[in-house]
Amino acid sequence: MKKLIALVLAAVMMLGAVACAAKPAASNEAEKPAEQGKVFNIYAWNEEFKGFFEKYYKVPEGVTVNWIINPSDNGVYQQKLDEALKNQASAAADDKIDMFLAEADYIGKYVESDYTMDVASFGFQNAPTQYEYTIKAASDNGVCKGVSFQCCPSALIYRKSIAKDVLGTDVPEEVQAKLDSWEKFEAVAAEAKAKGYYMTASFAETFRVFSNNCTSPWVVDGKLHFDDQINAWIDQTEKFVQNGYTLTDGVWGEEKAAQMFADGKTMCFFGPAWYFNFCMGNAIDPEKGCAGDWNITMGPQAHFWGGTWLLAATGSDNTEMLKDIFETFTSNEEVCEKLVVNEAQYPNNTKVVEKFANDPTYGNTTILGGQNDIAEFSKLAGSIKWENHTNYDQLLNEGLQTALQEYFKGAVDKDTALNNFYKYVNETYPAIVTP
Amino acid sequence: MAKQIRSELGGRRHRSVSYAKWGYIFITPFFLVYLVFTLVPQLLTVYNSFFENYMDGLKQIGPTFVGFKNYITLFTPDKTGTIDILKYAGNTFILWILGAIPQFLIALLLAVFFTSYRLNIRGQGFFKTVIYMPNLIMASAFSMLFYTLFSNIGPVNQVLQSMGILDQPLDFFASKITVRSLVALMNFLMWFGNTTIVLMAGIMGIDQSLFESATIDGANAWKVFFRITMPLLMPIFVYCFITAMIGGIQMFDVPQVLTNGKGMPDRTSFTMVMYLNNFLQTSKDYGRSGAVSVIIFVITAVLGGIVYKTLAAQYQDPDAKKAERKARRLAKKGGNA
Repeated sequence: MKKLIALVLAAVMMLGAVACAAKPAASNEAEKPAEQGKVFNIYAWNEEFKGFFEKYYKVPEGVTVNWIINPSDNGVYQQKLDEALKNQASAAADDKIDMFLAEADYIGKYVESDYTMDVASFGFQNAPTQYEYTIKAASDNGVCKGVSFQCCPSALIYRKSIAKDVLGTDVPEEVQAKLDSWEKFEAVAAEAKAKGYYMTASFAETFRVFSNNCTSPWVVDGKLHFDDQINAWIDQTEKFVQNGYTLTDGVWGEEKAAQMFADGKTMCFFGPAWYFNFCMGNAIDPEKGCAGDWNITMGPQAHFWGGTWLLAATGSDNTEMLKDIFETFTSNEEVCEKLVVNEAQYPNNTKVVEKFANDPTYGNTTILGGQNDIAEFSKLAGSIKWENHTNYDQLLNEGLQTALQEYFKGAVDKDTALNNFYKYVNETYPAIVTP
Repeated sequence: MAKQIRSELGGRRHRSVSYAKWGYIFITPFFLVYLVFTLVPQLLTVYNSFFENYMDGLKQIGPTFVGFKNYITLFTPDKTGTIDILKYAGNTFILWILGAIPQFLIALLLAVFFTSYRLNIRGQGFFKTVIYMPNLIMASAFSMLFYTLFSNIGPVNQVLQSMGILDQPLDFFASKITVRSLVALMNFLMWFGNTTIVLMAGIMGIDQSLFESATIDGANAWKVFFRITMPLLMPIFVYCFITAMIGGIQMFDVPQVLTNGKGMPDRTSFTMVMYLNNFLQTSKDYGRSGAVSVIIFVITAVLGGIVYKTLAAQYQDPDAKKAERKARRLAKKGGNA
């Protein structure tokens, strides 16, 4: 019996020892001098920026770059990132996050926290060529914590051949004149329907156009709040679905994406420059695609969509590299030009933008058949305002769309759909009071 | 000689050798692991369920002791009068039973066929492997596959449209009947093979002479099944049923992946564990998710108890023996005749 007890105790002690060993020794390295680390850890939610980084940034010799990629869907990226940030203080120097990516919908959550650090602390200065709103979005009371490598004015992307059939023209200025308000947009939708086309391929296609023009945030005094623009989107979508002007797939859905093939019947999509690479793969499919049959114009309302910011994580021991990366993707004109030419991006550098906008030889040939997209986008970029954002935006926007999709598909009535949205809000953000 | 060696080894004499201690030593690791990884977390869950404790963005709220508040919240009806947790418990039960009925019927049938000395099916190894196969695929991969198959632009809709059965794609994920049926179908496909194998083992444990003598007596296949196979299989059957039920109560992966965590439409394929999972995602709400876990635990315990009492009690102990005796009597009579 004694032996048994001894054995049990020994086993328990061993377990304890293992547990302790697994926990890294409390770090005394917070005050480390400027010596630079050998491992650079980046958290991201997809491979988009990774591609640019690997192509256009020269990693200093001896430094290993680690990408930790978790999908953004259902807030998974934020969950994983939050867990890692919580352990940031106690993590070993090489395991600390050095830089992480954040999207417009939740960047505030990190910028306002102590998990991000002032870019001035490692000598980075925002250049006057960066768009004002990209700096404002990454700043907490004037302290800037990161940069964006892109600017995301979003436009109406239309199928030229369908526009020609429905509107009688495919010239951007003339199309714009026929679609510059929601009333006209709806009238055209009816005409498109009459000719057997869809106006949009997703019930949520116009969501961003409305939501970016909100005059109040999602949460007011701790209570969930529906802005007039959100209500306007719901009303319009109701009409569009009832009249068959739109398909009922989600914005990221396959059914919607399939509409970008040549045999698609949809006239309008909405998106910024990143949309070309990220969402329009089907349009440039060599066999089934219709590259060149697309043009962009402003559409009913100016808006922007998304954007990826690079934030400096507090505790990073690779501050020189951080500074270098930030500079490369904002003020290195050579890199910014490559982003335009090779990657169809709209860079966060007004000087480069102006150069392309005024260059008669430049045009987007992969998708837009040679239209100068930079010139179009630059007309919209100036009007982007950064206001009425909350840290809850990503999941509230997603949650509302998911809940209402059931209503638009006819599975439930509107009250039930909204009720399910409130339930989702309660589960996701217990602090928000729902109606 | 032997004495000499023993004294050289240390001079100790063993009067008797007890192997009992080895038994304890061998089971110790299990109990330690159970204690650390199951019992302690289980008790902590109960403890946590009495606290308000969640994340609001990066801000930690609590933990504050709130008594039974989390339980009261869970059982408070919403505006339309539905109590969510009960609705999800109902969903879970429906999703499970829809799959479990065919699962047990088919498994029983196959088990009887495979063990029947009269049918003597050839290539049994092959069939057993094939029916077990779906269980080897990860549930999430299986769900993804079904999601792709049955999506609006998936092959099933394409085939139905090209055959002229449908003129518009049928949205399988907009109706609760289709979503629930898909979940049930997948659970059935994944588990009937497993159940078949276990039930076969149970049937093979029954004395073959009972079957033979019953047949000689002129009992038909139905009689043999209900009078001999079923009663003697009951302990194994109940074991299968209870484990399947516990698995069913904890159903998560299939509906979660198939509906992308939404349990659409109108949360009618939303299970209790998906509910629990929702609390643990962004909000990290240990209080309410703890309360949901405790409720799941209570439901499991109660249902397990009921099933055990009603199904097993009839056949076990005196009654089971009675049934066996009855069967033997029958067999003996057959032998004499």
